[in-house]
Amino acid sequence: MTTATLRETAEKQFASELASLAKVDDKPRPAKWKLSPWAVVTYLIGGKLKDGTIITPKYVGNQRLMEIAVATLATDRGLLLMGVPGTAKSWVSEHIAAAISGDSTLMVQGTAGTPEEAIRYGWNYAMLLAKGPTRDAVVAGPVMRGMTEGKLVRVEELTRIPSDVQDTLITILSEKTLPIPELNEEVRAVRGFNIIATANDRDKGVNELSSALKRRFNTVVLPVPDTMDEEVDIVHRRVAQLGKSLEIPAPAPALEEIRRVVTIFRELRDGKTTDGKAKLKQPSGSLSAAETISVITSGMALASHFGDGTLKAADIASGMIGAIVKDPVQDRVVFQEYLEGVVKERDGWKDLYRACKEVL
Amino acid sequence: MGGKTCIARARKCSDKSHSSMTTAPHILGIRHHGPGSARMVLRALQDLKPDAILIEGPPDAAELIEMAADKEMTPPVALLVYEPDAPQSASYFPFAEFSPEWQAIRHGLKARAEVRFIDLPRSLRQLPAQSAPKAPTAPTSNDPEAQPQTPPSRIDALEQLAHAAGYSDGEAWWSRLIEERRGEDDPMAVFDAIREAMASLREKFAGPEHDSSRDPEEVPREAHMRRSIRAAIKEGFKKIAIVCGAWHAPVLTQQFIDSTPAKQDDAALKGLEKRRTAATWIPWTHGRLAFDSGYGAGVVSPGWYEHLWVHHDQIAERWLTSVARLMRAEDLEGSPANIIESVRLSESLAMLRGRAAPGLEEFNEATLSVLCGGNPLPLKVIERKLIVGEKLGAVPSRAPAVPLQRDLEATQKSLRLKVSADDVVLELDLRKENDLARSRLFHRLALLEIPWAEPQEDAKRSKGTFRETWKLQWKPELSICVIEAARFGNTIESAAAARVAFEASNAKSLPPLTRMLDHAMLADLPGAVASLLQAIESVAAISADIGNLMEAIPSLAGVLRYGNVRKTDAALVLPIVRGLLIRVCAGLIPACTSLDDDAAAAMLGRINAIDAALGTLEDKEFSEMWSERVLALGDSQTHGLVQGRCWRILFDGRKVESQTIADRVSLALSPGNDPEKSSAWLEGFLSGSGMVLIHDPRLLALVDAWVCSLAPDVFERTCPIGRRTFGSFAPPERRQIGEKLKRTAGASPSVSGSLAAATGDYVAARGELVLPVLREIFGEITL
Repeated sequence: MTTATLRETAEKQFASELASLAKVDDKPRPAKWKLSPWAVVTYLIGGKLKDGTIITPKYVGNQRLMEIAVATLATDRGLLLMGVPGTAKSWVSEHIAAAISGDSTLMVQGTAGTPEEAIRYGWNYAMLLAKGPTRDAVVAGPVMRGMTEGKLVRVEELTRIPSDVQDTLITILSEKTLPIPELNEEVRAVRGFNIIATANDRDKGVNELSSALKRRFNTVVLPVPDTMDEEVDIVHRRVAQLGKSLEIPAPAPALEEIRRVVTIFRELRDGKTTDGKAKLKQPSGSLSAAETISVITSGMALASHFGDGTLKAADIASGMIGAIVKDPVQDRVVFQEYLEGVVKERDGWKDLYRACKEVL
Repeated sequence: MGGKTCIARARKCSDKSHSSMTTAPHILGIRHHGPGSARMVLRALQDLKPDAILIEGPPDAAELIEMAADKEMTPPVALLVYEPDAPQSASYFPFAEFSPEWQAIRHGLKARAEVRFIDLPRSLRQLPAQSAPKAPTAPTSNDPEAQPQTPPSRIDALEQLAHAAGYSDGEAWWSRLIEERRGEDDPMAVFDAIREAMASLREKFAGPEHDSSRDPEEVPREAHMRRSIRAAIKEGFKKIAIVCGAWHAPVLTQQFIDSTPAKQDDAALKGLEKRRTAATWIPWTHGRLAFDSGYGAGVVSPGWYEHLWVHHDQIAERWLTSVARLMRAEDLEGSPANIIESVRLSESLAMLRGRAAPGLEEFNEATLSVLCGGNPLPLKVIERKLIVGEKLGAVPSRAPAVPLQRDLEATQKSLRLKVSADDVVLELDLRKENDLARSRLFHRLALLEIPWAEPQEDAKRSKGTFRETWKLQWKPELSICVIEAARFGNTIESAAAARVAFEASNAKSLPPLTRMLDHAMLADLPGAVASLLQAIESVAAISADIGNLMEAIPSLAGVLRYGNVRKTDAALVLPIVRGLLIRVCAGLIPACTSLDDDAAAAMLGRINAIDAALGTLEDKEFSEMWSERVLALGDSQTHGLVQGRCWRILFDGRKVESQTIADRVSLALSPGNDPEKSSAWLEGFLSGSGMVLIHDPRLLALVDAWVCSLAPDVFERTCPIGRRTFGSFAPPERRQIGEKLKRTAGASPSVSGSLAAATGDYVAARGELVLPVLREIFGEITL
């Protein structure tokens, strides 16, 4: 492992876990799968193996959702992971690919500018000019490679891709072939190939999926964390990991501080206080767990580089307001109301109230 | 899996017991409303051919058992046992087609076997002190305690077994192991296995530390069951089958009965106070069989169980096809291709979870993922219509009536109201005690959605608030409404209050709440009014629709005004009205910008209603806040109708000088304005009453001059609006205005004279005289 890599792929980072799972896994495996569906679910949810190996949970949440996702891939239907930003869609898709195919690098990143070639294939123009259209001149994209090698291919942010380009996937999903009309040939997928797409249906600037494409996917909606403790757990776990890899010297923050941020985000997201006594207006942002994590890590960076090393209310205030106040007029009003109505009244939150007041 | 080995082991012992004790009663331990249990019970009974079938059910209803074979009887139905002296406390014992007890009863009646209920009679049950006078807080409050069949410990016990077998919850485990069985085993072997499993659990939970989680009446109930079994044996029945909840199976065996002295059981039953009870069959619904309805021994999915009961093969294909068909009926996508994919996913999920065949969980997940595209909303429809089901049962007409029905009949009798299928119009004078009580009854029935009496608009209604007119007509489907409402309570009053509280806790928007408030006020339900007010406050806090907020004010003002008379705490309402009024005043002007004609008319109604309501309150703070806003609205850029009305409100309230009003009228009617806007303004200003025009000659002259100044085509366009405005005035008002105008027209002919000159007659012949001269000058032109 080179120390220069900012972020390792999932299959490298958790290589030892995958190896021990493969060792104990005696259940039937679908063609080309590195692990059985059961082992894949265990890898995602975590647990203790027979030989004593601890598998860390990759997805904190409902096990049933992971079971549906893995069962879908075992039926050769495409898997569509939907959810608001920050519900660990890409994270899950990466780990599923790593566990099933041992390779999470076959990936198409969807953007507004994703061309058809990124999904199908491109041409090596020098060779095309020299030799004419031959199979050698075809530059295989991730999808084509996944089809020939029998691996999972991830399409990230499917809904950002322009609609006409999205529909390129229809033939691949239903016929499992990729025609190359220039050569009068086609690439037929071998067993083990499948597509995991992630999409989000709430954000601005998304292209809705055509129903023809939607029909070809099984959809799993990843929800925002159910309970407060679950969310605090997710944030705490990720913050500790990130802190390590970003080498932020500040010690991992106390759970209390994380709990405060999670509480604020949850309350604003749900539109009511946790005790259920007061209704609140909701801001326009999504306030996901991912945003909580970034608020905490940036707070830690602030504390260690400019403060005394421990995370204080002032360190998280600016990050938090940045995450909540996305619309300078309406969200500001929302947060001000929340600050005066809820934060001010809460015991032991005076420091946070003052810090936020200063920034706002 | 724990269950399987258990069954295998039990098969051995059952063989043994079968051969050694042929006369011992056969115990069929079941899950209430389990189709698998029902199927096994039926097969076991067909094999055993017992001459007596003893069922865990209320002996109070013994005479009603034979009605189960009646042709008119269609499950789901329920046995209702209640105390005629205190109809508040009642117990329901529901049966579905797939309930093992139901199948046992039907089989027994058909085979001419003796069928008996052996549970502790309801008349002997020492229910926790009934709080009858208190209005129930939830509509189902008398269900849980009324439900004897599932002591809490049994659920816990199932959980224990399920966890041992690797399932997340007891219901799913039991459902998978017993109810979704296809019946290949010897049923008696399975029953013995169940009994063994329960026996080991009962041992585990035997300690006094579990007493709290146990049904306090378990001991007398089981004692009574044993006593009944002993009696049946004594009477000489040769082959006895006992159908009871699985939990009770271990203590009803021959062995257990032999080892328990009859005296001990008698002691357990001694000293139980006996009450008078009555019983009846009532129609039940699948929805109320479900857990959600608060029914203790309910099942999560009656519709699914019925599916399992009706179909023997191709469960997955049939279920998912009916899901897809339902979705198509709801205009959602549900193609056969998707059915295939969802069947495949459900099977692959079952495989991943190590199950032989997919169950309801897998089907739901496959439906969500494939058919609904991850959108959980259609699943709600599926849950309501398929998983729970909307089936309504029927009972023979000779079955006795429910307490709510009784209460209704008693009330009708005491109020001297006749029930008839013809229309009857009833005029009530609320100053009379009897009529007031009648009116309350009608409003309560309206709250319960039993539309027997419908309020009628009456000309006399406007003459005073002490009159109400109702149209009464009894229709057969109202009996079903009564039974439907019976889940909320056993008297009309308590049921109406419970229903209001239930709706209030579920309401999302203001209009239904305020509508209910009107009824609840007139129905004299102070408790219900309080819970409604609370709901209104919390809903209003987040409501962004000013229109809804405005509509809430008049009813609330009514509560405030008449609340003390009807014993509602006005102090509770005042802050809510103030809060609403502040929100309305803040949002009034933005809400009135860019209104079209229809929206303006609706807004006009709301403004009028609030103004009238505030008028009755005579609260200085409120009226100042309101008139200040109305003044601002009158000056703002809004629809003419609303603007005109604002000035009229200010004029009527003497908030502005009459000179200002005259200026405003002249401004609004001045020729620079679009005539259509002016006429809308005039409509708003004059709507309701034309008295201003009679009393203020200046205003009349302004209006008159404006009408005269209209060009003929514009007059034609604005005429309908003017007609509508003036048409709404009372005939004497119109006559007076006309007379005044005739007088003014005579006094100042100049206006009409000049108009006549301007549009004076044109004589063609005289004009033609000039033409030859013009021809001379211009030469020949063709025109």
